[in-house]
Amino acid sequence: MAMALSPAQYIAASANDKAVVAKAKALTILSNNANSKPSTTTTATADLSEQLNEETRNRYEKGRKLGEGTYAVVFKGHLKSDPASLVAIKKIKINANYKDGLAMDAIREIKFLQELSHPNIIALHAVFTSKNLQLNLVLEFLPRGDLEMLIRDPKNVHYGLADIKAWMVMLSRAVYFCHQNFVLHRDIKPNNLLIAEDGEVKLADFGLARSFADPYEKMTFEVITRWYRPPELLYKARHYSGAIDVWSVGTVFAELILRKPWMTGTTDIDQIDHICQNCGTPLEENWPGVSKLDNYVPPAPSAIHPIPNKATWLGNFGTVGPQGVDLLRRMVTLDPSKRITARGVLEHEWWISDPRPTKKEQLPKKGGGEEKMGEDLKRTGRDFEADGRVDKVARKLFP
Amino acid sequence: MSRLAQRGGTAAATISTTALPMPSDDAICPVCKASRYWNSQVPMLMNPECYHKICKECVDRYFSHGPAPCPVAGCGKTLRRNRFRKQTFEDLQVEREIDIRKWLAGIFNRREDEFDSLKDYNDYLNQVEDWTYNLIQNIDVEATKKQINAYKEANQKDIAENVSLANQEHLTYEQRQAAEKQQARLRREAARREAEEERRIKEEGRNSILNKVASGEANLRDTNRVELKRASGRGPAKPQLTDPFLEDASKGAASPGFQIKGLKKRVQVAPEAPFDPFEGLLYKPQYHVVRDNYPWDFLDSTRKDIKHAAGGYDVAQYCARALCDAFSGLGVFIEDEIAAREGPPAPEVVEQAAAEAATSGISVDPKIKDDVF
Repeated sequence: MAMALSPAQYIAASANDKAVVAKAKALTILSNNANSKPSTTTTATADLSEQLNEETRNRYEKGRKLGEGTYAVVFKGHLKSDPASLVAIKKIKINANYKDGLAMDAIREIKFLQELSHPNIIALHAVFTSKNLQLNLVLEFLPRGDLEMLIRDPKNVHYGLADIKAWMVMLSRAVYFCHQNFVLHRDIKPNNLLIAEDGEVKLADFGLARSFADPYEKMTFEVITRWYRPPELLYKARHYSGAIDVWSVGTVFAELILRKPWMTGTTDIDQIDHICQNCGTPLEENWPGVSKLDNYVPPAPSAIHPIPNKATWLGNFGTVGPQGVDLLRRMVTLDPSKRITARGVLEHEWWISDPRPTKKEQLPKKGGGEEKMGEDLKRTGRDFEADGRVDKVARKLFP
Repeated sequence: MSRLAQRGGTAAATISTTALPMPSDDAICPVCKASRYWNSQVPMLMNPECYHKICKECVDRYFSHGPAPCPVAGCGKTLRRNRFRKQTFEDLQVEREIDIRKWLAGIFNRREDEFDSLKDYNDYLNQVEDWTYNLIQNIDVEATKKQINAYKEANQKDIAENVSLANQEHLTYEQRQAAEKQQARLRREAARREAEEERRIKEEGRNSILNKVASGEANLRDTNRVELKRASGRGPAKPQLTDPFLEDASKGAASPGFQIKGLKKRVQVAPEAPFDPFEGLLYKPQYHVVRDNYPWDFLDSTRKDIKHAAGGYDVAQYCARALCDAFSGLGVFIEDEIAAREGPPAPEVVEQAAAEAATSGISVDPKIKDDVF
């Protein structure tokens, strides 16, 4: 796999080191197993891969169920050797559509997550199979919910420009890293942006990801949740690039500002209509070649929306300042070849303008359920400690 | 706090250290003998200088023209009107103790986080409490006062800083904003004044050169050199700025008696580095260069294909990926990575392995041992 090698060149990247260390670990485990006697649980006849699998499975303790979807069940778990190291174990359900193989999503997720190691991308610690050959992914435990939860709760969660900037820069880093390693995520949306305990945003769900295609290799256009889908995919383009993810990032940006989804089409046609209204109607003048795309229907001259001017954008999204609006406009440029690249996003001046992005520890969080309880327990502990501390200080009589 | 400290700084050093007046009948002013019985409206005041109680009317009468001796028979201490106040506690002992503690709290306002360890902080508090006790109980008053004053002299800057710190904690956000603005204005003004001064000196220098040249007094070249030197030297008369911390430290060391142990070294907080959107992860291929264009028909045809162009397909990305796939292996140094992971191999282990190998009759090159493949 070519991907495996690409991170090797990050100048200051720890990513590369980690990847190599992970592989080296796999090697040591392998060699240990080969040298030592088979463990008691495995039969002597079990082959090497089964032993390895057994080894990995025995390292983790599966806990209670956190949630269940059509595609997978998620459990909370931890390392047997260290109960404090929490992980999420995602058990892929055996899908009726893939009777004699693995679900495509699972394969994609494993294929890309095991290669990408970045602070803003969810970490895949291990993969093993349990009984009935069910696939289990051991993922980083991210207890703070997702960005969508924060956006949709204006009553309890208040955030400002610096917070939006902090979240956006973390998302942009993740997307830049994916594209730099030639991976298209193809499903960026707020509920795929999970939040770690320390506030770090992590891009998750690589079930639709793929690597960049060769020329003339056709890709599917049925990717990305509709509201976040760029016009070229709605026009059924078969050859596209990282620009599709940048569009999604732009719509997430707009959603963070508006605190509601920006362009909410009910069908694909309706979605195109929303895009025409908000970003202008795609025409040959503003997007050369668009009329040659499969699903393009020339609009009636009366229905043509001009590309909105700067003042209109400022009116709708002015809270992020003129530079932020400029970045948003570049992200949702109609013509994908003129759209800003993931690297261009990070080079934009908005990030270095005032205010500085909030530190991740200080970002707004949303408590709830188990996490809230955990927090409360922690707090009491701290208070006790503080009391003990005060007792040790010689009492000041005045003031 | 600050008002206390200021008041304490000027006057509180003169809290009575002699025996307190005997608790006399509260109701009668010792000066005019007016009894509260007759005139209940007149409050009794006292002065922390000697704690004698005098009725308000007498205070107004005696001290309206400035300081005067205490009118109570046998006292005669010089009192000022502004320090007269109502008694807070019925027991004058308590009243006095509180005064002393207030005064000392204004001087000894160090915070716990200034100390290296809890023990140092407690030692410091203990020392302060010893002095407080001395002052309250009138033990070694002069020596104690001397030490306290020496401390105050030596640590003036820290005291003021802690006072302002305490004030800041009380200020609301707006007030803080206003204060910052004021500070910035002062700084700007200072900078402007400095620039003005510099300009003035330069101007003067130039004028004197011109004058001298005009009067044909001196050779132009010599004059120029001398005057320029003077102008650039900015005058030796200007007081040299010294590091206040150093100065404080030397004073503290010079003052006899009390030394605070375990005070943390003050560290200047480094200014935050400018925000880096890439977080240091800017990609740059080390072993190859991606060119803008490669002469290959396949690429050209892709570039010209309208469906590729309209869909935003990026041929340059394809080239970058192909080159990356081809050359990334050049950046992998397995031996270095193994060495970094395991650290230098312990010689004993290698020898032992070699010895085992020798006994078992198989020759193993210790170098290959790491490599399982």
